[in-house]
Amino acid sequence: MNKEVVLQVKNLKTHFTTSKGTAKAVDGVDFTLHKGETLGIVGESGCGKSITSLSLLRLIPTPPGKIVEGEILLNNKDIVKMKEEELRKVRGNQISMIFQEPMTSLNPIIPVGEQIAETIRLHQRLPRKPAWQKAVDLLEMVGLPSPEKRAKQEPFQLSGGMRQRVMIAMALACTPEVLIADEPTTALDVTIQAQILELMKDLQKQIGMSIIFITHDLGVVSEVCDQVAVMYAGQIVEHRNAKDLFKTPLHPYTQGLLSSLPNIHENQQELQTIEGSVPSPYDYPVGCRFADRCPHAREICRAEAPDLLETNNAETKVRCFMHTEKWEVIEEKEELVCP
Amino acid sequence: MLLFIAKRLVQIIPVIFGVTLVVFLIMQMVPGDPAAILAGEGASQETIEQYREDLGLNRPVAEQYMSYVSNVFQGDLGNSLKNKQPVLDEILLRLPITMELAFYSILITIVLGLAAGIISAVKPYSIRDVSVMVVALLGISLPSFWLGLLLMYLFSVKLQWLPVAGWDGPLNIILPALTLGVGGAAIVARMTRSSMLDVIGQDYIRTARAKGLKEHFVIYKHALRNALIPVITVVGLQFGSLLGGTVLVESVFAINGLGRMIVDAIRTRDLPMVQGGVLVASLVFVFVNLLVDVLYRAVNKRIDLN
Amino acid sequence: MASKVTTAQTMELAKARQNTRRERWHSFRSVMTQNKAAMAGAIIIGIYLLMMLVAPIVAPYDPYDISLEDKLTPPSMEHWMGTDDKGRDILSRILYGSRLSIGVGFASVLFGAFFGITLGLVAGYYGKWIDTIISRLLDVMLAFPGILLALAIISALGPGLINVTIAVGVFSIPLFARIVRGSTMEVKKLEYIDAIRTLGANDFTIIFKHIFPNVLSPIIVQGSMRLATAILSAAGLSFLGLGAQPPSPEWGAMLSSGRDFLFSAPYMALFPGLMISILVLGFNLFGDGLRDALDPKLKK
Ligand SMILES: Nc1ncnc2c1ncn2[C@@H]1O[C@H](COP(=O)(O)OP(=O)(O)O)[C@@H](O)[C@H]1O
Ligand code: SF4
Ligand SMILES: [Mg+2]
Repeated sequence: MNKEVVLQVKNLKTHFTTSKGTAKAVDGVDFTLHKGETLGIVGESGCGKSITSLSLLRLIPTPPGKIVEGEILLNNKDIVKMKEEELRKVRGNQISMIFQEPMTSLNPIIPVGEQIAETIRLHQRLPRKPAWQKAVDLLEMVGLPSPEKRAKQEPFQLSGGMRQRVMIAMALACTPEVLIADEPTTALDVTIQAQILELMKDLQKQIGMSIIFITHDLGVVSEVCDQVAVMYAGQIVEHRNAKDLFKTPLHPYTQGLLSSLPNIHENQQELQTIEGSVPSPYDYPVGCRFADRCPHAREICRAEAPDLLETNNAETKVRCFMHTEKWEVIEEKEELVCP
Repeated sequence: MLLFIAKRLVQIIPVIFGVTLVVFLIMQMVPGDPAAILAGEGASQETIEQYREDLGLNRPVAEQYMSYVSNVFQGDLGNSLKNKQPVLDEILLRLPITMELAFYSILITIVLGLAAGIISAVKPYSIRDVSVMVVALLGISLPSFWLGLLLMYLFSVKLQWLPVAGWDGPLNIILPALTLGVGGAAIVARMTRSSMLDVIGQDYIRTARAKGLKEHFVIYKHALRNALIPVITVVGLQFGSLLGGTVLVESVFAINGLGRMIVDAIRTRDLPMVQGGVLVASLVFVFVNLLVDVLYRAVNKRIDLN
Repeated sequence: MASKVTTAQTMELAKARQNTRRERWHSFRSVMTQNKAAMAGAIIIGIYLLMMLVAPIVAPYDPYDISLEDKLTPPSMEHWMGTDDKGRDILSRILYGSRLSIGVGFASVLFGAFFGITLGLVAGYYGKWIDTIISRLLDVMLAFPGILLALAIISALGPGLINVTIAVGVFSIPLFARIVRGSTMEVKKLEYIDAIRTLGANDFTIIFKHIFPNVLSPIIVQGSMRLATAILSAAGLSFLGLGAQPPSPEWGAMLSSGRDFLFSAPYMALFPGLMISILVLGFNLFGDGLRDALDPKLKK
């Protein structure tokens, strides 16, 4: 708990204004990231994970998107309020990103070495030659075979796994304090996935950066993350230490996600899935956003929206009435009402 | 790359034969007796028969075509019906003028088109974008011959800044090249814009921004170069319309180029001249297309895979 | 695998496709009516078509009536667009000329579409050597730059509006054929076409009843864009004196005679050109809208 705070996000709201109305893709997200820590952000597709991560570097396409509220404090400086100039010094330097699609995230007509070297030239003011050499070294560091040769190649000449390694090398070029990885392994084969995860863990140890690891795959989270934030409908619904979360999930949504996790030991045929779907970001319910799918939902869940509150343990936060004092009171009342 | 060029060269051979065949068939389509036409009006029956014999017009069509092709490849495009001079000589006199006009026009098409397209795409749906696109839409809708007359009226008649017609000095080039170039520029602008917008929405542009690159680096180094790839093809096609358009623009501005030669030859029913002119213009276009293909291939190495 | 499909299934499949076609039509209509530019294009085209119809009723003068004492009068209350070098009322000539200029455009596109679609369907459906021959033929036609193929045809057939129609029509054949060929090859691969064949449908039925309706939307887009080019080309050929001949109020021909009076009576060239430009603009606006409405890939 005494660890140094690197990044603190407070009440972040990113909304999209389209012809269909306002999509509240990210709608009040709070979290704190400590030095050297890996925070996993999980949740079903469409919950706002990618938009959250893009918001951190203000990479939201504007219009239609806009950060309408909140603070993103990097070492106590608010990214939301930064000028373009200042922001560019953060991007790729203090905070860098890896994206889901290694196929499309690299420029198809620029040699991969140059794509890495240009970042180095920009942020570290190195001349061409040394910057190139550093790019080659980085490629070697991420385990790309014959890096000299590969550096001169264009992305189409590399496999998906190699491209993701290039992306990682690019992201680490300026030894960032925070690395945001948005589903970095989703598009890859299982064996390649494992290699990439291994690589990221190794590099984290070497460089000592913090990682925000976004995924919809809880299996991956259990392997790499220290802390986990579970996102649902634009909000964080549970934020805890990874071990505890997997042992005793508190939020009904987390419980649902965990029970839909394939069990490696028994060859389960059918996975349990949470019935229903994520509510549209254009039109969230008034009360708890999970109420329509929650097996425990009560009257109050539809009438009032629960807050993200610390429970008995200060390091555990949950957004659910079940874990508040209100719940007991209501339960008693309802028992009175129902015969 | 050399292999690719060789392959494309082989591929255009049938096209070249096809073009000669079409041009040859035009002669066959002419109603009436070709010998009589070639002999000229008021020729005696004997002269006509003489022509028929000399030109082999009494031989089977296939044989005639073979000899036509072999003549063409030896640089013999026949003689003009009017002055009996070799068609090729006249063409060699006219072609440089048309090529010069085409060169400046395509330059305008590319420079103006790219600039307008980029200006639009950098700030999509802004007032600037909308006005550029409205102008581009007008550009593809105005008939070149009318635009030529308007420009002539404005700059030559009213303002008297530029010469009315002819082809004697650099000032003469401005209006015709502009007239011929703007239509293509409008098309290139629209294509560049949509291609740029497409590219700017790509993941790798987001990556470039995430690295902290300055916006103009993102646009010019990362986006534009990718966006230009499909534009190259459009410019190549545009060169074809442009070459065809010289027919109109040379007539408007009284320029003695290949286009005007063809039109005059049609008016005077000088068929060998028409055939020769159309054939040469088409061959130029075929080779320009080849050049464009090679260029496209050079900038887009990804086709290697297929 | 196709032989396992039953009649009922086939009918269902065919019906399903028809239903999606109907849905597509509805969504198409709503996109088109929401697209302001496309609506503007449609209105422009509508006005011109109306003009063709009512020309004899609304034209204030006889378009051929020569009255030399009134020649080259600038636009006035009496002659809104002025008079030409023979004293004819330009407005009346433009109204009558709409029938020629627009008519030639439509006729040539229909001509080109008919042959182009047929060639494209045949090439795409039969493939193999038929496709090779047709494709080579199209390559050759496209090897002629711009309107030069049309010029070559006119040189053989001789000048005149009908020959211009044919020439401009031939010039659009390869464009239609290419598009139809590609779409046909895609549609042909669909399973239900195989199923219909095993049920004994002949090639003709398959091509015209099942494939043709599915390739219609790219044809319509291309048709609208082609109309713009065809009208421009036909007017251009008349401007060169190869199409409609002098007393004719065809717009290209009017523009051509107006050119000789550019100094003294610029309005003679101004109005016919303006009429062509606005009409072509209408088709381009409409075509752009059509493309956006029919091509879901381009939708944002
Ligand atoms: N460009 C956009 N325009 C409108 N809405 C968007 C846009 N991008 C994302 N959204 C909305 O944001 C929501 C969250 O998206 P995202 O963050 O990508 O989810 P995920 O958790 O799968 O990464 C989506 O459901 C979508 O409705
Ligand atoms: S607040 Fe109510 S509805 Fe929401 S998760 Fe908790 S129990 Fe379920
Ligand atoms: Mg995502």
